[in-house]
Amino acid sequence: MNVVEMRGIYKYFGNFCANRNVDFTLREGEIHALLGENGAGKSTLMNCLYGMYNSAQGQIFINGKEVSITSPNDAIENGIGMVHQHFMLIPQLSVTKNVFMGMKEAGLVYNMKELDQRVKDMSTKFGFNVDDPTAYIWQLPVGVQQKVEIIKVLMRNAKILILDEPTAVLTPQEVKELFKSLKLLVSQGYSIILITHHMSEVLDYCDRVTVMRLGEVIGSVDVKDTNEDQLANMMVGRDIDLDRKIVPQPQGDPMIEVKDLRVKNDKGLEAVKGVSFKVHAGEIVGIAGVDGNGQLELAEAIVGGRKIVSGDVLFNGESVVNKDIRYRLNAGMAHIPDDRQKKGLVMQMSIKENMVLSNEQSDTYKTGKFLDNKKINAKAKELVDEFDVRPTDIDYKAGSLSGGNQQKVILAREVDRHPKMMIAIQPTRGLDIGAIEFVRSKLIEERGRQTAVMLISTDLDEILSLSDRILVMHGGEFMGEVTYDVPIDKIGLMMAGQRAEGGAE
Amino acid sequence: MKKSKIKEILSSIWLPALALVGAILVSSLVLMIFGYDVGLSYQAMIRASFNNIRTVGNLVNNTTPLLFCGLAVAISYRSSVFNIGAEGQFIAGCIASCWIGIIGKGIPGPLLILMMIIAGAIAGALWAFVPGFLKAKYEINEVITTIMFNYIALQIIGFLTRTVMRDTAQADPQSFKIADQAWIPYLLPGTKMNSGIVIGIALAIILYIVLFRTPYGFNVRAVGYNKTASKYAGISVKSVTIKTMMIAGALAGIGGAIEVCGSSHYIFEKISNGFGYTGIAISVLANNNPIGVILSSFLFGFLKTGSSTMQRMINTSAQFTTVIQAIIILFIAISAASNASFKGRTKKSTKKGA
Repeated sequence: MNVVEMRGIYKYFGNFCANRNVDFTLREGEIHALLGENGAGKSTLMNCLYGMYNSAQGQIFINGKEVSITSPNDAIENGIGMVHQHFMLIPQLSVTKNVFMGMKEAGLVYNMKELDQRVKDMSTKFGFNVDDPTAYIWQLPVGVQQKVEIIKVLMRNAKILILDEPTAVLTPQEVKELFKSLKLLVSQGYSIILITHHMSEVLDYCDRVTVMRLGEVIGSVDVKDTNEDQLANMMVGRDIDLDRKIVPQPQGDPMIEVKDLRVKNDKGLEAVKGVSFKVHAGEIVGIAGVDGNGQLELAEAIVGGRKIVSGDVLFNGESVVNKDIRYRLNAGMAHIPDDRQKKGLVMQMSIKENMVLSNEQSDTYKTGKFLDNKKINAKAKELVDEFDVRPTDIDYKAGSLSGGNQQKVILAREVDRHPKMMIAIQPTRGLDIGAIEFVRSKLIEERGRQTAVMLISTDLDEILSLSDRILVMHGGEFMGEVTYDVPIDKIGLMMAGQRAEGGAE
Repeated sequence: MKKSKIKEILSSIWLPALALVGAILVSSLVLMIFGYDVGLSYQAMIRASFNNIRTVGNLVNNTTPLLFCGLAVAISYRSSVFNIGAEGQFIAGCIASCWIGIIGKGIPGPLLILMMIIAGAIAGALWAFVPGFLKAKYEINEVITTIMFNYIALQIIGFLTRTVMRDTAQADPQSFKIADQAWIPYLLPGTKMNSGIVIGIALAIILYIVLFRTPYGFNVRAVGYNKTASKYAGISVKSVTIKTMMIAGALAGIGGAIEVCGSSHYIFEKISNGFGYTGIAISVLANNNPIGVILSSFLFGFLKTGSSTMQRMINTSAQFTTVIQAIIILFIAISAASNASFKGRTKKSTKKGA
């Protein structure tokens, strides 16, 4: 039986069509993946179902009956619950208070004991491990916070769950646990829609998958009848090859050498707790770890954007800890920041001006003391061609570009400096598969021309497919060094804080 | 590419133009409500500036200090330093240049004028350095410090013109006159057309070239749009902030020197008449573009010139042009805000299709 049926959904934002004639069905008791690149229209479609937009056209049937859903309240009344990518929890309140917040059913005077017990019962029933309902949200790990979100939805009697990219913040172990709970839920008659762009999750855990591209549904298939290549092709519209392409090559001298580095985060707490490592010319060293374990602070300290507490950073044999960012860039560092809109680009400036950014003193763009528009235009055109930035109009504002094209502009600028060392932080986060493939191939090219590459990513697949060596970071320390053929369980445990035998170098 | 350039220029002009038209309409309405003849009022205003060559001289004379203050605000706003202190920097320039002009009796004219302008520039730059430094080093809000520095400058000029610099032969507190050879001749004989306008226009053009054609100007604009990205591009945000403030102060300070050499020839407490504050409106109307500042400072100079004539001819209060100015500023603010929300909306809609 179809618990959800959406027919002929159209949703426009201005002139932009985010959903075009979309049909979607969810059967009772299945985990149904909604797969597609960023901008494919997955979240838009689910937001339509959850009543976030009221200007969408089309019909929605819940349990065979046509309904009109114009607000999240309508959706909840129809038994639909959504767990958003960014949690909607209040850190200063307890689990139970978060769960029952805003629920009329809880009554005017709370019987906290009874409510605590209900949360606990729900948790045990589905294996959620929310053991202490009186704990404050801020005390809980991200994985448990997510379970609280799910309990919140279940407590409101939702039978249809929408999960938006739920695994983005989890370790592989937590992902496993999450899906164990989800399986338990569907076995008891719940139905689940999972928004994702990870094919492995779809293939390992889901029953059916609907693939979207550019606002349209490409097709719905049973997972057992499909494979990774077919899904990738449906998502992108062409064959995609994200397999590991790193072949062993001779390496040069250590380009960067970090010695017992300690760095504080924005809150003033020590985020990097004495790490040491080297990256040699011609190798890619991947730094794996769950977001927020000190990787960002480590990278920023090397680039020069963050003060260090103690330790040393040798770049090409020279200590650079007291040098400013411009010195390090001129010495041959390149930097792909984690937040391209905030740290990488000036959104109000054009593509060509963003190519000039950080190179404004370079003779590539100058004649005498003045910036030379002819030179700028020529170089920018060349780079836009080489890096396939679209649109190709170099006067186009960086802020109007898609994420992938923004990243290409940064990549073009950094690669064109012919760096000795490239620090890439989450270089493919939020990009579509085509752009991911492109960015990765450029990093491999850099490795090929004997650049030392330090790759920081929370995407384990990315680390595994690009790195010569992998350092796993947890709580500001390295848990050990592994190679790409390490069993995924082992690296997962290291990400969760278990030290490998031997330790890091 | 040419097309996009034209489009860009048009898009930067149509909102100020719309604001102007709106302001004229609303001002007319206000005039009508108070029972004045709208046609006659505007006629009076236009004649005040364009009746003959002498009135054009008045227009230029009123515009000159505004132009320098507008430029001072424009460059600091480009680096997103909200310099409210052009007023104080202008006054600092007046004081320093006047001092040199008084004590430099034996120095030949051209040299003395040059010295006065340099003194004005240095004084203005130093006056702006302190808020710039405090912002760069300690993140102290420049809006507050520059306003405070305006008051300090005002008190200092009031003190000096009542004490050490006071020309006791005059009834009102004012300074001695500067040496005769330091008076810049008027641009056209028989008018009060301040020759400093030429220097102002030249500086506007230079400023435009600096902003859009030099690495330093590039950095100013980059810092103005996005400090974090600038930092990671290796631009020293602190040094850009301080330098930009000092350039702004120097521009306003030169304006003060020009006012002393070219128009007043002495200083008094109210010499600035709010030029620095009007400079903010001028710069915002011109979208902080130095070339646009030339045009918009003429507009505000025109309003100022018209105020007294309008009072004489149709018996309005001179404050009425202040009302019109306020209406224009209001419309500019509305157009700036609606522009921002336009951008915000289109951005949101393209982003949402995830």
